[in-house]
Amino acid sequence: MHRLRLLLALLLAPALTGCFASGGAEGSSGDAKSGSRLRVALAFPPAENLSPYGADATILSRLGVTESLTALDANGAAAPALASSWRQVDDRTWLFTLREATFQDGTEVTPAAVAASLTHATEASPAPAALSGVTLQAKADGSTGVRITTANPDPVLPLRLSSPSLAILAEKGYDEKGAADPVGTATGPFEITEVTGTTSATLDRYDDYWGGRAQSAGVDVKFIADGAARAAALRTGQTDLAEAIPVAQAASLDKATRRETATTRTTSLLLNAGKGPFADPGLRAAARRAVDTSALADGVYEGHADAGAGIYGPAVTWAEGKRKQPAGRARATAPDGTKVTLATYDNRPELPEVAQVLKQQLEKAGFVVRLEVREYSRLESDALAGKFDALVLARNTLVDTGDPVAVLASDFSCDGGYNLAQLCDRVVDRAVAGAEGVADTAKRQDAVMAAEAAILGTDAVVPLVHQRVITGVGTSVRGALLDPYERTLLSTGTRR
Amino acid sequence: MRHQLTPLLWRSGLTVALVCGIGLLPWLSRTDPALTVLKARSAERDPTPEVLADIRDRLDLDDGPWRLLGHWAGGLWRGDAGRSWISGAEVTPAVLQALGVSLLLMAVALAVAAVTAGLVCARTLYRQGRRGRAGGGSAVLAALPEFLTASVLATVVGVQLGWLPALGWYGPRWTVLPALALGLPAGAVLGRLLDDLLPGAFAESWARAAAARGLPRRIIARQAVRRCVPALLPNTGLFVVGLTGGSVAVEQIFDIPGLGRTTLQAALAQDLPVLQAGTLALVLLAAAATGASRLAARLLIGPALRDGALPSLHRPTPPARAIQPFLHGAVLLAVVALGLPRDPLALNTRERLRSPSWAHPFGTDALGRDVLARVAHGALDTLLLALAISAVALLAGVLLGLLPRLSGPLVDTVNAVPPVLGALLVTAVAGGGPVTPALAVSLVAWAPLATHTSALLRQERAALHVTATRGLGAGRWYVLRHELLPAVLPPVTRHALLRLPGIALALASLAFLGLGAQPPSPEWGLLLAENQPYAERAPWAVLAPAAVLALLGALAVSAAGGVRRRPRHRTVEAPVERPARVRELVGAE
Repeated sequence: MHRLRLLLALLLAPALTGCFASGGAEGSSGDAKSGSRLRVALAFPPAENLSPYGADATILSRLGVTESLTALDANGAAAPALASSWRQVDDRTWLFTLREATFQDGTEVTPAAVAASLTHATEASPAPAALSGVTLQAKADGSTGVRITTANPDPVLPLRLSSPSLAILAEKGYDEKGAADPVGTATGPFEITEVTGTTSATLDRYDDYWGGRAQSAGVDVKFIADGAARAAALRTGQTDLAEAIPVAQAASLDKATRRETATTRTTSLLLNAGKGPFADPGLRAAARRAVDTSALADGVYEGHADAGAGIYGPAVTWAEGKRKQPAGRARATAPDGTKVTLATYDNRPELPEVAQVLKQQLEKAGFVVRLEVREYSRLESDALAGKFDALVLARNTLVDTGDPVAVLASDFSCDGGYNLAQLCDRVVDRAVAGAEGVADTAKRQDAVMAAEAAILGTDAVVPLVHQRVITGVGTSVRGALLDPYERTLLSTGTRR
Repeated sequence: MRHQLTPLLWRSGLTVALVCGIGLLPWLSRTDPALTVLKARSAERDPTPEVLADIRDRLDLDDGPWRLLGHWAGGLWRGDAGRSWISGAEVTPAVLQALGVSLLLMAVALAVAAVTAGLVCARTLYRQGRRGRAGGGSAVLAALPEFLTASVLATVVGVQLGWLPALGWYGPRWTVLPALALGLPAGAVLGRLLDDLLPGAFAESWARAAAARGLPRRIIARQAVRRCVPALLPNTGLFVVGLTGGSVAVEQIFDIPGLGRTTLQAALAQDLPVLQAGTLALVLLAAAATGASRLAARLLIGPALRDGALPSLHRPTPPARAIQPFLHGAVLLAVVALGLPRDPLALNTRERLRSPSWAHPFGTDALGRDVLARVAHGALDTLLLALAISAVALLAGVLLGLLPRLSGPLVDTVNAVPPVLGALLVTAVAGGGPVTPALAVSLVAWAPLATHTSALLRQERAALHVTATRGLGAGRWYVLRHELLPAVLPPVTRHALLRLPGIALALASLAFLGLGAQPPSPEWGLLLAENQPYAERAPWAVLAPAAVLALLGALAVSAAGGVRRRPRHRTVEAPVERPARVRELVGAE
């Protein structure tokens, strides 16, 4: 009997260890090389096996695994990355000059490889968000040049190419079906060596990185979806860096470990200008006047946000100086008990609270408000169909390309794909179309702010707060890159 | 042969129907899977028609549900459950991995539950059934929401004290806290059910004979447990499946890559291959658990069941404990009475998260609302709805429990469906009306009651007095009405009341699908959910609703002490006398 039990135990032991998550706590230690390993807790687990064509691209670029031809600098302009420089040949053609670099599989970053990589991206289905509606062709040009031709004039191509989903991978990273695999094929300072499902990943330093050897020997990444759990991981010292700490948990972290970064994410109240009570501009104006944004920034976000100033917040550094006052706003009419539904989603825990505060503010002004809170994917199709009178939405205003016009075109123009406010206004459409055509950066920004003023003038959108993202950074960590576009986190200088 | 075949066919039929139901879900609910898949892949991506068309094309969605189902089922015999619609990864290894994690968690949780159940019954076991019952402690424990226990354990034990790891799933030490969060309430329910049966066992003649013979109390207690456990095994089987597939909150808080989270994500994104595979695994597990619990019951009391030689498990005398329910009721009423004059909706963000004071006896929540007012105003809605659902579940549970052949496989299937998926299926069929959440919860809530009923009935049918009554010429209806139901109803009713707080919580857990109470309604489940993120900074905001919920549990259980079999015209010696008579009757056949 005892022998049987022993045998059973011996048999069960490996079966049980199979039931634990591997890639675990004490992964490969980098003692052989210099520098210690960083431990990072990320919020969003890979959804598509770390394919760069979807949202996982952000994970890859934040971890310093992949690089694109260009990057965004602090002012939201294109900066050199794998391409050291570029110039516009004519209005449809650009020439990018590559720097000397190698892929993590040891091969050279040649113009042919880069052109092939971009071609793979254009052929992906569905196409990466940065390329939606764009047709481009990439060809090698000489020993260091890549010539990119677009079907239509594209004044923001260098910005577009900074998108993490246009990361450059070695030929080995693509299979015959067109799927892209960044494991060991990218160009960044860190190289993925192991991925365990959606729970963890192991990165090692890539020694031949063109920008110099990283100071950390490697990175152990854990994907922890629950915000409180990420905060707990930082507090118990299980991780050095924890991404996106929810506002509710921020107070539980030491002040020294709490870093705030203004983001391009704006939470706004969208009023359904297509149908229902808010089709009346007078009522929209009444709703706008009823909203007190400072109560939201201080009360709900506990000061971890800035009160809404416009569609673009303080993270878009040039916006404040160029902002124009909206003109031609309608006069507010008395709501007199108008019934409205206000919808929002609970994937971001602050939004239901914002909606409840708004409900009180609107009711004080004379509206009768019914709330509808759902999970986002259960809400979106109804919202797009205009079934709600008002919607509280957190939106990244520099989506995908880093081009400020994109969000205006998709969210507020008549045929925009994400027009949740159901806005269709000729003045707005003209202003947005005008901005789309301007090539010069400064002038484009001026045109964008004119379009913003036109949109705000319709009162279809009431900016509520500009969120700041809170990153938990262990006290011993140096050199974490916190940027407003949420595209970087680790680089060669990050260490503990 | 037919006896074996019919249930098997019924069971397979149900499984097929369930899998088909999942396969048809997007088409029934008219929710475009391309859209939900896109949002699961990348929440920020604009759903332009071109992108959706590309996804539809990639996933062959235009083939229609039946061809997709057929294709998926075609690969099953090879162990190939297709590829995930979200990630494109193979489903089988991912689901098996998650299942392994969940099974291990469930096993440890079950061990915790066994210990908890033992502690709940310790007093009864020690006193061998002589008067006095464990108080409302276990009912309070049973009413504790898992996510609350989990976050308290994670913050206090894991983070502040640092005794055990609060996060991840890397070895045996990581299993302790999540297993405690899951096992404590489950153990409390099982312990209550066991505690309910034990006095009956101790009152049986063999126990008295053994005591008179001078056998050690330990041995008598062990035999009494052995005598009662078979009635609990089916319910334990339900917990096995429920804990494996439905511990989403605990998996999230402790970051465990289990099956609950996998199926939840798949259900929301309508990632049908993963959802079908995960549900199928759970249904198979349910069948296995049922089989195992039958086998165990047969091993424990098989011969007695076969020979109809079980004494009835009626408790001898109902303990008259009149004061406890009144006490619980009075406290609950007082809270409601104090809170009703206050405004549950007036928010003031400058007063947020204030600790309890004279102005706000229960403190304020994250929006500066008075927690006492919210608890009191939520009481009526919560209680009425939960009571109504409990009543429906009790009725359905007892009726279906009377037909174990029909209901057994049905219970297993229903219980194996993850709650969110169940709600989605109900919404797809019944639409998103105001009764949908109640319907969705009732559809699941009857299952444990039916199981309990069948288990008790199985034993009761084998009891001597039933054989005797039948032998005296009583018809089936007479036996049912006068012998079986009176014996079965009281414990099942107590069980239903014990699950009352759980039903209130289940209702709230559907809110995020846009079903049921919506903020700012002060419904109790919603109160708990909205204050959970602040549990560490403002514990009162969660503890107050949790406490009233626990109080409700204690009230339900202590009041249910009155739901007992009416003392019938027989003396305490009756069970001792009856066997002799029955043997004569049986012998005369």
